[in-house]
This record gives sequence, C-alpha cells and structure tokens, in this order.
Amino acid sequence: MSDDMIQLEELTKRFPGQAEPAVDRLTMRVPRGEIVVFVGPSGCGKTTSLKMINRIIEPTSGHIIIDGEDVTDVDPDELRRGIGYVIQQIGLFPHVTISDNVATVPRLLGWDKDRITARTDELLEIVGLDPDLYRDRYPKELSGGQRQRVGVARALAADPPVLLMDEPFGAIDPITRTRLQNEFLRLQEELKKTIVFVTHDIDEAIKMGDRIAILREQSHIAQFATPEEILTQPANEFVEDFVGSGATLKRLKLSRVRDVDWLTDCPTGRLDDSPEVLRQRLADSDWTALLVLDDRDRPVRWLRAPDFHHPAREVARMGLPAVAFVRPQATLSDALEEMLVGSAGVAIVIDGQGVYQGIMDVDVIIASIQAMRDATNEFYRAAKLVDPTTGLAGS
Amino acid sequence: MSFFTDYLADPSRQARLLEMAVEHLVLVGASVGVAVLLGLALGITAHRVDWLAPAILNTASIFLTIPSLALFALLIPLVGIGATPAWVALVMYSLLPIVRNTVSGLNSVDQAVVESAKGMGMGGTTRLLRIELPNAWPVVLAGVRVATLLVVGIAAIAALVGGPGLGQEIYQNGIRRIGSPGALNALLGGTVMIVLLALLLDLLYLAIGRLTIPRGIRE
Ligand SMILES: Nc1ncnc2c1ncn2[C@@H]1O[C@H](COP(=O)(O)OP(=O)(O)OP(=O)(O)O)[C@@H](O)[C@H]1O
Ligand SMILES: [Mg+2]
Repeated sequence: MSDDMIQLEELTKRFPGQAEPAVDRLTMRVPRGEIVVFVGPSGCGKTTSLKMINRIIEPTSGHIIIDGEDVTDVDPDELRRGIGYVIQQIGLFPHVTISDNVATVPRLLGWDKDRITARTDELLEIVGLDPDLYRDRYPKELSGGQRQRVGVARALAADPPVLLMDEPFGAIDPITRTRLQNEFLRLQEELKKTIVFVTHDIDEAIKMGDRIAILREQSHIAQFATPEEILTQPANEFVEDFVGSGATLKRLKLSRVRDVDWLTDCPTGRLDDSPEVLRQRLADSDWTALLVLDDRDRPVRWLRAPDFHHPAREVARMGLPAVAFVRPQATLSDALEEMLVGSAGVAIVIDGQGVYQGIMDVDVIIASIQAMRDATNEFYRAAKLVDPTTGLAGS
Repeated sequence: MSFFTDYLADPSRQARLLEMAVEHLVLVGASVGVAVLLGLALGITAHRVDWLAPAILNTASIFLTIPSLALFALLIPLVGIGATPAWVALVMYSLLPIVRNTVSGLNSVDQAVVESAKGMGMGGTTRLLRIELPNAWPVVLAGVRVATLLVVGIAAIAALVGGPGLGQEIYQNGIRRIGSPGALNALLGGTVMIVLLALLLDLLYLAIGRLTIPRGIRE
C-alpha cells in the first residue's frame, strides 16, 4: 500500500473548441491523511483539476489513481460514493430535510434505516448542529454557515477516505469562515481524511494546508511544498508575487503560541494576599505590573505600582481587570491581535480551563519573527543568494 | 323567460347540465392526463438532449397557434367525429404549457444542487426522479394548471364536431337556435357552467399544490 492516497498522472483537460487545454499534464501525489490545497489565480484550472478527481469533469487524458487503484475508467457513480464532495455553493437539496440531505450517500449505499438515523445524528453533532433542533429543518431555514456545516456533514456521511472541497468557505462572512476553518481543522485531526482543498486565498491555503500546490495557468505547478517552505523559500517569482508582500505577517499565522517561549517570570499574587505583600513582590521583580490569580489559578486583575498608593481593602477591586487571553494553540497572529486590543500591550496565555500559563509580549513575537527570518537567511546563505552586507534575500 | 326562475329551475335541465359538466370534466381530464405524460416525456427529452429542444418546443407552439375551430375540423377526416377529434385536439393544445414549463422547471433547478447530487454518486435516473423533478415540480404544476384552464374553454368547441361536454348546450341549444326563445339562456347556462368548472379546477390545483409541493421549496 502506497503512502499516497491520490495520484494524478499527466491529467489533462481540453474543453471542446478551445485551443489550449484548461489543465495541462497535472502530475501530483497527495499523501494519505493530509490536506493538499490548490491555490492560484482565477481561471488557472483549480476547479477543473479538482473535478477531474471524481470525474465530474472527465479528463481528456491522463490517469487518476486512488488508494493504488486506477479509477480513470471505473463506474463514476461507484467512484463518487467513496469520495466526499463539498462545493462553495453547497448545493443542499432544498426540497428535503437536513437529515435527508445528510443521509444521501448512505441511502445510495443501501444502509438500513436505524444505521442511517444514528449516523445522521452523529454527523450533525460532529459539525456542531444539535440534531434535535436541526434534523427536521429545511435548508432554507438555516444560515449560510449552518448550511455549509450540513454540506460538510453530508460529504462525511459514509465516512469516505477522500474529501474534495472547492472553496468550501468562500461564500461565508469572515468571522464565520474563521470559525468553520478552525472547527474543520480540529475535526481533521481526528478524521485524518485525505483532502484536496481549492481556494484562491493564499491565507486560507496557508492555514488549511499540510501542503500547498501553487498553480499557474493550465494548472502548471509553480511550487508544491509545505506552507513553511512556500513562505520562507518561494521557488520562483510567481510564487513570491502570489504570496505577496505580507509574507512575514502570514508567517505569524503559521506559528502557534505553544511554539514560542512565552514569559513565565511575571510576578503573580492571590486575591487573599495583602496589598503590602504584593507591592513588595512587584517591587522585587523587573516587571511593571503584577497579575492577580483567583483560587483556581485564573488571572483576574493587573496591579501596577501606582495602584498601591491608595490601596482598596480588597485586592479584587484594585488595578485593572485582566484582559487579552490566548490559548497555546492560538497563532501568533491571533496573539498579536489580542495584544493590540488589550490596553496592557501583552497577552495572557491560559489553558483550556483558563489556568494561567504565562505572558506573551510584543518582544516575544519579534524574537520569533527574527528566528524565522534567520532560518530563511540560513537557506539563502546556503544557496549563496544572500548579500552579506544587507542580510536581505534575493536582489 | 328568466334565466334563474325558468331556465335553471327546471329539474330536467339541471340534470342535463350536470351530465354535460361531467362529460366536459372527463374530456378535459383525459386530455390533460395524456398531455401530462406526453409533455413530461417530451420536456425531459428536450432538457436532456439539447439539440432536440428547439424542435420539440416549436412543434408544441405551432399546435397552439392553429385556430381551434380549424384544428377540430381538420381532425375529422383523420379520426372521424365525436369524442376522438375533441380529445386529440385538446391533448395538442395542452402540450405546450406542460412541455415548456417542464423544460424551464428543469432548467431552473440550481446547478449546484444537480452537481452535488452527481458528486455523491447519484445516477442519471435517480437524480431526475429524486432531485430534478421534485425541484422543478412547482413550475411543472403551474404549466399543467395553465393547460387545464386553457382547454376547459377550448373543449366547448368539441360540440361542433359532435363531441361531448357543455359545448353542446352552447352550440346546439344556443348558437344554432339564436333568435328563438331560450337560446340566450342556453348560451348563458353553458358558459356559466364552464366558468364555474374552471374556478373549481383552479381550486383543485391549489389543493394539489399544497399536497405535492415539498415544504422546503414552498413559497
Ligand atoms: N465547462 C467548461 N467549458 C469550457 N471551458 C471551461 C469550462 N470550465 C472551465 N473552463 C475554462 O477552463 C479554465 C479553468 O477554469 P477553472 O474553473 O478550473 O478555474 P479556477 O482555477 O477554478 O478559477 P476560479 O478561481 O475563478 O474558480 C478557464 O479558462 C475556464 O474558462
Ligand atoms: Mg474554481
């Protein structure tokens, strides 16, 4: 058994009456259990390439091999029942209920009724929709985000090993999109599906992809690599242009808070400590503020030196409330945003229970950017591409 | 002679009118029934086979442009007189609204819906029966309704070729005896009955719509 779940070999599509093929000899391997993102400018052939994998568009030539089996000529309906398919327009069946929508493929596969009901409820649960509330609704009675969740549930219904997704979160407002992306990534950690994901948004590609294929016209691969490599070692000018000038900021979306060394020496106190003790503790540290924790180690207030000039009787009423929390799995970009929002200019790292872990400040983030840049420079230096006087790559 | 006190009050005339109304209904029902089967088949074909669509739609349009009087008469040499020419002519007239609405109903089904059905491995026939037709149904039904109301009126002409229905009252007791006492009442009686029949059928279609249009796509 090969480690590649999907192999595309010289896949070509020539639409009738067109001189140039829409997709020209696309060859690619998608490793088992990974998300591969196709990203590229409009019209470069992403959708056509994707649709050839489940043969919604029949390839003109080339081969599709799924799990070691050449499926280029098998019965397409048979093939498609084993491949989940999610499109931007979702395409829920408007005339039947949510549960009937989700049950589509299991019914085609002839599952018995009880199994279908159980599976439908389970899936609605998985995508975050209460089955009791939503099972009997119709698609028009759902919001766009909820519909897309149903779309994902429907694609997962018969537990296909492969999922094809064409701009699945494209038509959703940014906040809901971020939430759906995060939920989907969490789901994928358990499901370990092999996924081909199309987007024209490089940020989404970086976020979602284990690997990214940057495509140019006719689905020619400009670079096929991990998001880190794409950002730090763009293979050519096309990739560089496509990734754009915000590459450093984008890198912040790749690194997580847990990957950096946050500060752990911030002085802390308890709600029942006396103000005098806390004042002394703050004075003994080289910090300008002290963090007060409650009896379950959750941060509640920041105290600064001036706050002790007129101490209230209770510590709980002194200083400012603690704000700007981040979890270890948040991206550095999220952390930076929290810092800018919170007036303290720092973010407090907490775990899932809200227990205090440490502090992130802008310096921590700058240090990590520096480290990434050094790694990049290391690469260019190795490739003798760096001008040692400026330390800048390229030129 | 008054329409209400004399014409409608006569029990034997009431019975005769009712009898003719039933004949009329049977004639319309039978023609539309056949036209639905034929029209759906032609509409689905036109939808699936692109190059056949213009031929099918144009033929059905031409049927509708033939003046009804002429069409009934033209059919006599082919199928004789009586119910048959009436029935054939009404099928021809009902065809266009049904075919056209079947085609536009199927075309109006969201392409994303069809594609996602295809992408899940639903074969052509299953897709047609389970996805495309149910979603096209409100439009198809509207076509059937238009066809029905159209032929309720046209069916009155059937009496000219010896056919059944309320046309007999209008033609034999009305038009042919115009000037004689009672002719006007017969004319009026047949017409009123046809209008009532049309209203009744319209209500029937409202009920059919309620019962057969899936809740998810109802207005
Ligand atoms: N059914 C079709 N018939 C003819 N040409 C087509 C068809 N579908 C796509 N094309 C052409 O093939 C090329 C690739 O289209 P495709 O939809 O795969 O692009 P894409 O990368 O998905 O673009 P977008 O980001 O806009 O969705 C385009 O030039 C398009 O015009
Ligand atoms: Mg596309």
